Amino acid sequence: MAALRAGDFAALQILLKAPSKDAVRQLCQECFSSPPAALGPLAQRACPGLAVSAQEAEQLVSALHNLTRHVVYRGLTRAEDILCLFPENFHQNLKNLLTKIILENISAWRSEAQASQISLPRLVDMDWRVDIKTSSDSIARMAVPTCLLQLKIQEDAALCGNNPVVSALTMELSKETLDTMLEGLGRIRDQLSAVANK
Amino acid sequence: AVDKIRLIPQDFFAELCEQIIQHLNHKIPGINTAELCQRIQTSGVDINIGDLAKIANTLSFLFSTAARNNLSTEELVTTLGSGVSTLPKHAVQVIRHVWNEQGKAIAMSEDAGNMATVGQFVDMKWKLGVAMSSDTCRSLKYPYVTVTLTVADPSGQITDKSFEMTIPQFKNFFRQFKEMASVLETV
Repeated sequence: MAALRAGDFAALQILLKAPSKDAVRQLCQECFSSPPAALGPLAQRACPGLAVSAQEAEQLVSALHNLTRHVVYRGLTRAEDILCLFPENFHQNLKNLLTKIILENISAWRSEAQASQISLPRLVDMDWRVDIKTSSDSIARMAVPTCLLQLKIQEDAALCGNNPVVSALTMELSKETLDTMLEGLGRIRDQLSAVANK
Repeated sequence: AVDKIRLIPQDFFAELCEQIIQHLNHKIPGINTAELCQRIQTSGVDINIGDLAKIANTLSFLFSTAARNNLSTEELVTTLGSGVSTLPKHAVQVIRHVWNEQGKAIAMSEDAGNMATVGQFVDMKWKLGVAMSSDTCRSLKYPYVTVTLTVADPSGQITDKSFEMTIPQFKNFFRQFKEMASVLETV
């Protein structure tokens, strides 16, 4: 969990060497989205663009990562709250630029954090079709409608890193079992309405 | 893996055979291998679920083939003896007993549900939760739905699959099922 450290703000001032505001913007986004383990390679990529040493690049990337994640963790949404994170003697223009960039991205970043938090496997896709069974080796003629359902379930993203494992669960439902499912889902919907109205 | 049958205590083996026969008779939706395996392990027997599943599959095939060929108890026991000669005595005893009591009743029945080539949906359990906080966001208040689907696979064995949905995903999920139901009505 990102906590702001003493040396972070000093490292952030390295951004004064950035070629443009857009470069700063881009770097902020990459530093937020990158997991801690990928910060090293990110620093190496950022190095040439900033004309700084490898060590300075690492400190900067780490500091930006901590700052952006800290803001999302605390749920800060107002400019004043973000501005007062910075120490007194921090470069004014850079402080304002960083605050502006953070405010622009905060809600997308919050969604990103929510989407990547630990969870049970997630439903990613659902396909279905309705068939009619007309005949089989034991029954010559029939007309039995049946549903075929395939759910694609992705294992916890945090565990799989960049190669999420998606498994397919295929099942058949008869009219009766489909009604059971609908009943259960209806109850969830009722609960949701009850909670939403509180 | 079938060698492992000798590891299973007689009463558990009898329970397994019972469940298999009841499943073949459409009295229960599936065979609760996972739960049975857990109880066998708790009693001190070292058997894993993969082996138990293979044994259940073999027995299921044995019983359903015997039913299709209308084998009497003696015929079944003779077949067992000539085939898998390593079956322990107590296992043969259980099979003989179970077949005697319930084997004839296995109607390889005129039932549309008998043609499972995919898993059969058995049950759904659900939970509506709100994530309050996480290492990335101190104040979340993020609602989500957790669902556990119980499915009997084509061999009859029951497994659970759990997953999460966001609220919009859940609404879509519900809508799709209502659509499936209405198509089923009209078809």
